[in-house]
Amino acid sequence: MRGWWRGTTLVAERGLVENVRSRSFKVITGLLLLLSIAAVAIPQILGAQGTTYTLATIGKAPAGLVATLDAAGRPAGFTVTYVSRLDEAAVRKAVRDGDATAGLAGGTLYTSAKSAGTFPVVIAQAMVSLETTRRLTEAGLSPQQVASIQSIRPPKQVIAGPVDNVGRVGVGVGVGIVLYVALVLAGTAIATTVAMEKSTRISEVLLAILRPSQVLVGTVMAVGIVTLVQLLVLATPVAVALRVTDKIGVPAVAAGDLGLAVAWFVLGFALYAFLFAAAAALVNKITEVNSAILPVTLILVASYIVALAVVAPDPSGAWSVAVSMFPLSAPLVMPVRWASGQVPVYQLVLAMALTAATAVLLVSVASSIYRRALLITGHRVRLREMIPKRGSR
Amino acid sequence: MGLEIHDIAHSFGDRTALDGVSFDIAPGVITGLLGPNGAGKTTLLRIMLGVLSPDRGQVRYNGRPVGEQDRRQWGYMPQERGLYPGMPAGDQVTHFGRLHGLSRRDATSKAHALLAELGLEDRWNDCTDKLSGGMQQRLQLATSLVHDPSVIVLDEPFAGLDPLAVESLSETLRLRARGGRTVLFSSHQLDLVQDLCEDIAMVDHGRTVLLGSVATLRASSGRRQLRVHVKAPNREWLLGYPDVTVVSDEADDLRLALPPGIDPLDVLDAARAAGEVVDFGLDLPTLSQLFLSAADRTLDPAGVR
Repeated sequence: MRGWWRGTTLVAERGLVENVRSRSFKVITGLLLLLSIAAVAIPQILGAQGTTYTLATIGKAPAGLVATLDAAGRPAGFTVTYVSRLDEAAVRKAVRDGDATAGLAGGTLYTSAKSAGTFPVVIAQAMVSLETTRRLTEAGLSPQQVASIQSIRPPKQVIAGPVDNVGRVGVGVGVGIVLYVALVLAGTAIATTVAMEKSTRISEVLLAILRPSQVLVGTVMAVGIVTLVQLLVLATPVAVALRVTDKIGVPAVAAGDLGLAVAWFVLGFALYAFLFAAAAALVNKITEVNSAILPVTLILVASYIVALAVVAPDPSGAWSVAVSMFPLSAPLVMPVRWASGQVPVYQLVLAMALTAATAVLLVSVASSIYRRALLITGHRVRLREMIPKRGSR
Repeated sequence: MGLEIHDIAHSFGDRTALDGVSFDIAPGVITGLLGPNGAGKTTLLRIMLGVLSPDRGQVRYNGRPVGEQDRRQWGYMPQERGLYPGMPAGDQVTHFGRLHGLSRRDATSKAHALLAELGLEDRWNDCTDKLSGGMQQRLQLATSLVHDPSVIVLDEPFAGLDPLAVESLSETLRLRARGGRTVLFSSHQLDLVQDLCEDIAMVDHGRTVLLGSVATLRASSGRRQLRVHVKAPNREWLLGYPDVTVVSDEADDLRLALPPGIDPLDVLDAARAAGEVVDFGLDLPTLSQLFLSAADRTLDPAGVR
């Protein structure tokens, strides 16, 4: 076993060095880093400005109202500026002309038809709250009693939709897209390496020294590590930003989803990598690689489409549950479904276990195809040739 | 001792590639595995190296069946070149050294020494695909020799080489054989390698047709020709050798075919007794002539499959 690992890691090491030295690795990793930093930084820059509402009042706004509104604005992420007008008509004109989001004059709250959002509600609540406090104090209640009444909150409001958190589902779909792209790119890289080694007959030299499983696992490891590094480059700034600040437009619960996405990549990669390698071993010329891996790519594309078209809109439907358990589609479907927040943990664990078991099974099947196909040169190998005939070996 | 090929058979579907091939390969000499294209040479070498599994038979090394550990000490150069195109030459040799079990440091120092021996020392950092065909060929040789293998197996190493490269490759192999290594190479260019191999195994249609030392095989074949330029008035001195036949008889060049059992020196003495011998020579059959006559023998009606 020690000998097996030594040869395997040597193959992987060579693949890693060649990959990291290549220009495409540097370009892609650099782009991913820029993309990730941009995803974190741009909402920060935009978020720094925040939403600003303008309130018009007759004369200076009352200090109590200003304090209440500022207090309400801090957690909700808006700031309020105040403009003063001479009379009610001027306040109304300011709102109508768009100089103010809302206007307060006497007992009337003026709002414009557009772009006020929840601001008028907030003002109304603040006004009611201020007036209630004043009257309760007048009625002789102590400040503690007033505060106790003020702390009454309405029941928590939960939308009874198919998903718990729309923002998190967005993250889930994003994870699905990244996983799909990563699996296709990594699979193509593995297939290209295998086909290159076969067409340059390096594989024959390697098979004289190593076992097929060593060459196969080493090659897959090299590409896997490179792709994982690139995924981490993409995910780390986002995940770090999630821990440090909540102002990047991604719900905090998604940090765990990102971690899970990396785990799913490892599983999905293990599953598909050997399929890609076995398919690529069938080629004769390196130019045939794309058509040789087409069946594998098609399974990936189908899983991806199902994940977006079927699972994302209805994560708990019977079909969604089925495809999220099926090993070949689980790596792409389950992360999207998981983001709905309505997947029992046992289903996640089961899907992972099934995927891992299938991957292990595929290693031996792929090794056997790889070994047989590598020595058949001169024509594109058909899968039929891979099945040993009875009576001959 | 050495390497024994014992009754190896292999077929691809219905096509029989090897049909019970057996021969021994001694260390310290260069052995040629010769035969025409499609004779089964590459299949046999692949089986020896464990790339293919035989249907029947066994490869034995030092008296026991050869295993994975033995083979890791061997060096193999396949017929078609197998090098990583984008890898620097030095790294390539070092990598294969490490695959064969050398430490990184050993592999690097041996790679330097070997590239120097093969005249590639200033190409250490050059990418493989930037090297000329001949240089790639030498680099390929380096990857199979870097770990100083006890057994060196080369499949068609001379194919496509210019005479200079043939000579330098031959010298490299002679050096290894003299150092006690077992050297086996295959070739279909029989006459090209005639001077290089000491032992040969000739295969045709998956069977061995001729085995043994080249010198013995050539000398003991019935196809030796004595060429003699003798200033004699007539050919009466030949009458004492009824078995000797005249191949051609020009004015200054008499060519005689000597059957086995006739000593060429006796015939030459008779010629000298008849007149002044200006020039003479003994022509042994070439390997391809030997092959043709050996292959003919296997094509008797009973042998035709």
